[in-house]
Amino acid sequence: MPLAHRLYDSALVLAPSGRLDHDNCEAFREELAPFLERSAKERLAIVLDLAGLEYVSSAGLRCFMLAAKQAKAQNSRIVIAAMQPVVSEIFQIARFNLVFDAFPKVRDALAALSPAAAAAFDRG
Amino acid sequence: MVVAIDEAALERYGQWPWPRTRVAELIGRIGAARPAAIGVDLLFPEPDRFSPSAVAEEVQGLSADVARRLRALPSNDAALAAAIRGQPVVLGVAGLEARDPRFSRQPAAPPLLLRRAQDLRLRHFPGHLQSLPQIDQAAAGRGLLSVDPESSVIRRALAVAQLGDVVLPALSLEMLRVAIGAPLSISGRGSDAIEVGIGDVAIPAHADGRFWIRYGPHDPARFVSAAQVLSGGVPAAQFEQKLVLVGVTGLGLLDYQTTALGDRVPGVEIHAQILEQIFEGEFLRRPAGLRTLELALLATATLMLAFTVPTLGVGASLGLYALAMALLAGLGLEGFLAEGLLIDVAWPAIGATMVFGVVLAGALSEADAQRRALREQAARVAGELESARRIQMGLLPSPRALFAGEPRFGIDALLEPARTVGGDFYDCFMVGPDRLFFVVADVSGKGLPASLFMALSKTLLKSAARRVDDIGALMARANAEVSSENPESLFITAFAGLLDVRTGKLQFCNAGHEPPFARAPEGALERLVHEGGPPLCVLEGFEYPLAEHTLAPGEWVCVVTDGVTEAMNAAGELYGAGRLQAVLRSLPAEVEPNAMLAAVRADVARFVGEAEPSDDLTLLCLRWRGAASER
Repeated sequence: MPLAHRLYDSALVLAPSGRLDHDNCEAFREELAPFLERSAKERLAIVLDLAGLEYVSSAGLRCFMLAAKQAKAQNSRIVIAAMQPVVSEIFQIARFNLVFDAFPKVRDALAALSPAAAAAFDRG
Repeated sequence: MVVAIDEAALERYGQWPWPRTRVAELIGRIGAARPAAIGVDLLFPEPDRFSPSAVAEEVQGLSADVARRLRALPSNDAALAAAIRGQPVVLGVAGLEARDPRFSRQPAAPPLLLRRAQDLRLRHFPGHLQSLPQIDQAAAGRGLLSVDPESSVIRRALAVAQLGDVVLPALSLEMLRVAIGAPLSISGRGSDAIEVGIGDVAIPAHADGRFWIRYGPHDPARFVSAAQVLSGGVPAAQFEQKLVLVGVTGLGLLDYQTTALGDRVPGVEIHAQILEQIFEGEFLRRPAGLRTLELALLATATLMLAFTVPTLGVGASLGLYALAMALLAGLGLEGFLAEGLLIDVAWPAIGATMVFGVVLAGALSEADAQRRALREQAARVAGELESARRIQMGLLPSPRALFAGEPRFGIDALLEPARTVGGDFYDCFMVGPDRLFFVVADVSGKGLPASLFMALSKTLLKSAARRVDDIGALMARANAEVSSENPESLFITAFAGLLDVRTGKLQFCNAGHEPPFARAPEGALERLVHEGGPPLCVLEGFEYPLAEHTLAPGEWVCVVTDGVTEAMNAAGELYGAGRLQAVLRSLPAEVEPNAMLAAVRADVARFVGEAEPSDDLTLLCLRWRGAASER
């Protein structure tokens, strides 16, 4: 799974895409790992932009949970944004809204994290 | 030029041997054209029986006068000697392994120069066969006829050989020597090579006097029939200043040899070809270093194949082998054509082939052994998975059997693992006399890790259910207990319910699970939704809230896992909650749990078709029949 990333001030926006299931969740975890390390080192928040994510299985949810646990352990923030309806419903059923703060749009997430990040986003 | 005593000549002048007068006439005819040398590939060891004196002895009834006159005539042998005398004629001498008493004297040898004194190790013939002294003495030279074949195919010929104590050159070489008038020289060239020289011509040969013949194809243009010569039909220019060989080719005379090219050629042609080769200077050589080169080739080819073949696949190995063979063949051919080098690539090729065969066979058998080991391992794992599945399925109760004859409610459940063993589970048991506990859960992930975690979780949930009254507290407790034994960070979605079978009051808690469906006999299909919480092992210390729903008599509840809603068909479409709702709505109001299960299972199976099941599929259906007073 390709993991596009962009930095807005102190916020790292990561955009997984496609389907996240049993077959590729380990690869996704490996892709995610360096960004989590970087977020701890550079005091960056992470926004998972899920606009390109079409489906997530329970194994995929586990990846999100592990990321959340690591973020919590290293005292950094990780939020999600721009979920498609299918993914949103899966998150809703699994009550992962209790695990992640979720925002309708990436900009909303950035605004909630830091005004500087939102400003950087607005500048493009 | 070869003057052939061929079929045409035999037909015209009678069968072989001819009277020596006829041979004398033939040599006379050739000699008249002033050739450079005449090589006679014939032997005249006995007196001619057609000589007049012999005829006088043979033929009975001759008058004494006729006989006397015949005896007085010169013999045919004298006639031949006369024809030869004064001509540059070289006669043949054959080497023999035993002495022939008729020829006890050594043959007259040409002047021999030894440029470097060394012990000659030439092929040695103790005896020999040559022409009658009378004829022999008339000749200008004597050459060896013997090719001394090493096998039925003549590849090498003797350039010089030792007969008794004298050294004699081959007929062809002696013709050359007679033509040039130079002495024969032999000089050493290293430990096992010599060079035979006549004037400016040098012929490389082995120490034993053998040298390789570079054959050309049989060429009829070299030949002229003896019949034509005898009838005067051959212009003198054909022979003038030429080396002329006289020999028999008539098939009945059987002097045919096989050359390295596979041709059957008259023996006399071999002499002719040797002469051509000498003139063209194209000798085939095998310098001393060649053996080292061949050994190096053998070592290189075999080592290369030995080390590379085991690391390559069969196809690549065969390709490499073919390449090595092609390189060897190319090298041999190039050496032969460009340099006249006789590189023996056969041994490197044979060696490489053997090594290739052995190594490839080894590699194949090793691969085969590995495959077998893998197969056995796979079979063992499959067997272990099969027994794991039996254990897992054994962990699950059979609700229908468990609650057979239960008047207050009906319950049935189904679990189909996707990968032999799975992470779904369900459970149901009575807590006290009047309360039914049931749970449907799904461990994230599949296969053995999920199924092991499922077994652990099911046990912990059961023990928690027996100790806690409040279903929310039960979930919180299970969350804490399962989380503490979760090294792989798996999580579990679960829907748990506690039904008071006297009143129909249902207490439930949803931990991140698909909300179940419920339907009262007179009501619409609804979902049991409440605030709930995340799956177990996601948030530590989460306080799960509980919700309540009072079942109407005859109302059913159906709990599924995502193996149902996310069952996928071959086109990649999901079964979805919509289809599930549709099939549940279509069921009659009084449907029993087992019929409900069957209907949903059949509908999902129809949708999925031939596609591989992607996730465990679990269904639990429960129907409350109402309070005892109402039944």
